Amino acid sequence: MAKAKAKKYREPFNLKKEIKLLPGYLVLLIWIVFTVVMVGWILAASLSTSKEISQGAVLQFQSGFHFENYALAWGSYNVSKFFMNSLLYAIVSCVLIIAISAPAAYVLSRFKFICNRLIKTGFVVAMSVPAIMIIMPIFALTSTYQISGRGLLIFLYICINVPFTTTYLLGFFSTLSKAYEEAAAIDGCSPMKTFWKIMFPLVQPALITVTIFNFLAVWNEFFMALIFASSEDLTPVGVGLMQLVQAMQTTGNYGGLFAGVVIVFLPTFLLYIFLSDKIIAGVTGGGVKG
Amino acid sequence: MKKNKTMIVCFLAPAVFTFVAVFLYPVLRTLIMSFFQVESVTASTSEWTFYGFNNYITMFNSSSWQTSMLNMLKIWLVGGAVVLALSLLFAVILTSGIRFKNFFRAAIYLPNVISAVALATMWIYYIFSKKYGLLNTVLDGLGLDKVNWLGSNMKFWSMLIAFMFGAVGYYMLIFLSGIERIPKDIYEAATIDGAGKLQQFTHITMPLLKSVFKTNITFWSVNTITFFVWSKMFSPVDTEATTIAPVVYLYDIVFGTKGVVHRDAGQGAAVGVTLCLCVVIIYFVFNKLIKDEDIEY
Repeated sequence: MAKAKAKKYREPFNLKKEIKLLPGYLVLLIWIVFTVVMVGWILAASLSTSKEISQGAVLQFQSGFHFENYALAWGSYNVSKFFMNSLLYAIVSCVLIIAISAPAAYVLSRFKFICNRLIKTGFVVAMSVPAIMIIMPIFALTSTYQISGRGLLIFLYICINVPFTTTYLLGFFSTLSKAYEEAAAIDGCSPMKTFWKIMFPLVQPALITVTIFNFLAVWNEFFMALIFASSEDLTPVGVGLMQLVQAMQTTGNYGGLFAGVVIVFLPTFLLYIFLSDKIIAGVTGGGVKG
Repeated sequence: MKKNKTMIVCFLAPAVFTFVAVFLYPVLRTLIMSFFQVESVTASTSEWTFYGFNNYITMFNSSSWQTSMLNMLKIWLVGGAVVLALSLLFAVILTSGIRFKNFFRAAIYLPNVISAVALATMWIYYIFSKKYGLLNTVLDGLGLDKVNWLGSNMKFWSMLIAFMFGAVGYYMLIFLSGIERIPKDIYEAATIDGAGKLQQFTHITMPLLKSVFKTNITFWSVNTITFFVWSKMFSPVDTEATTIAPVVYLYDIVFGTKGVVHRDAGQGAAVGVTLCLCVVIIYFVFNKLIKDEDIEY
């Protein structure tokens, strides 16, 4: 509705008005041209040889497109390993975060009991606790009991994202009418079954939005991975790319480096191209209230 | 009712467990650890010896810590002023009736969804590159001297510029939603009364955005206090005085780095607690400074 209205409003082209807005257009355009040049150059550089890059002849493609940079980064530089690790961490933790947070958010929004407020406040406070306050004890515990590996990282990614997800979903569950549960109860459906069969599907849009955020958060996470990914086999893309950059200072293969950069940012970039409306609405509408 | 009770427990238990395991217990243990002399992070509690406030005293006397705090303050103050000004400017332009608003908005927010490591790599190896970088190519084209952006006297500012570029979009979105919540008829009334665009901005938009400013300042503070990836990317091998941030200092003394042999987990905990206190103090100061007025539109 709002969209249709905005479209209609945009139709008449008023030259006088547009000229007045010209400085605004210019400021935005400079910023965006800069972004486009940066991303575009990286894409072009990922298809060039290191020699072309250092000579500043990236956009000419004199020796053709060097897709072997991607093969090299994906294979020899282990980017495939980092990529698969990140994909695994992101997918598994996103599913489990919802499985843990959605029931908790539902119960917190629906029932009155002692500790309800306390738990809600706890989650809100947890959202702003810096990671540096929690890593040391976790590191101590996991090394004493020799817990390591992919499971540990997934467990941590789940735990650090549960408070935000629960708080985000709380608001959506509280807007649902109680009539659904009453009708289900009359038909003999148990409360737990009612939740999974009726209430859970009803908040699907919110589940999708919050899962996009969780996916981005896990994919781009760096600090925890740096500390807890003890071997190369466990390393996700963030830390992996940093190691690649450090190695590249000695090998000097810039084409391969930029191909690695593209592989790392492409998934979130594509996700954003298709879902930017949902992501932007989620930033301003969900967790943040002015 | 009985049924509900089991359901409440079953549905809440996993979430509460994650909270206790990864937030409550670690935060309390870090807090306690900051008052003990602990060398290795992995040391069991039986090896801790009570140290009073000595960890904090050592920390405040350390020159690296002082440099890192100074850097953080510069990032907070200079970066904060620039980021908030730019993001407010973008938000105002986007709400001025411009075409392709959704496209512009999405493009400016874009860096926020890209991995900071990838973004930093782009800046370091392209924009700031001495030989073929964008900035030096432009300077060269204008007939000016090339600048060594990653030299020790420019590195901090280069890092800050790159960091700010990535941050602006987020704060812009929050300003944007704040401005869009202000009813249009206030502006129409002002226009009828003969107020210009600038007057409308200073007398309507700014005062009504007070609480949005508070939100943004709080977020910016948390963002600078936890500043880590950018510092690590701009000095990947050795920690350098120009780019060190408090979290990097903590990481170095707890987990070690080239050149730092002595480990001091107790002091690391003290750093963590101090940074947390900074967040709390900033939150309360700005809550007192900028009072929420209940505005009903």
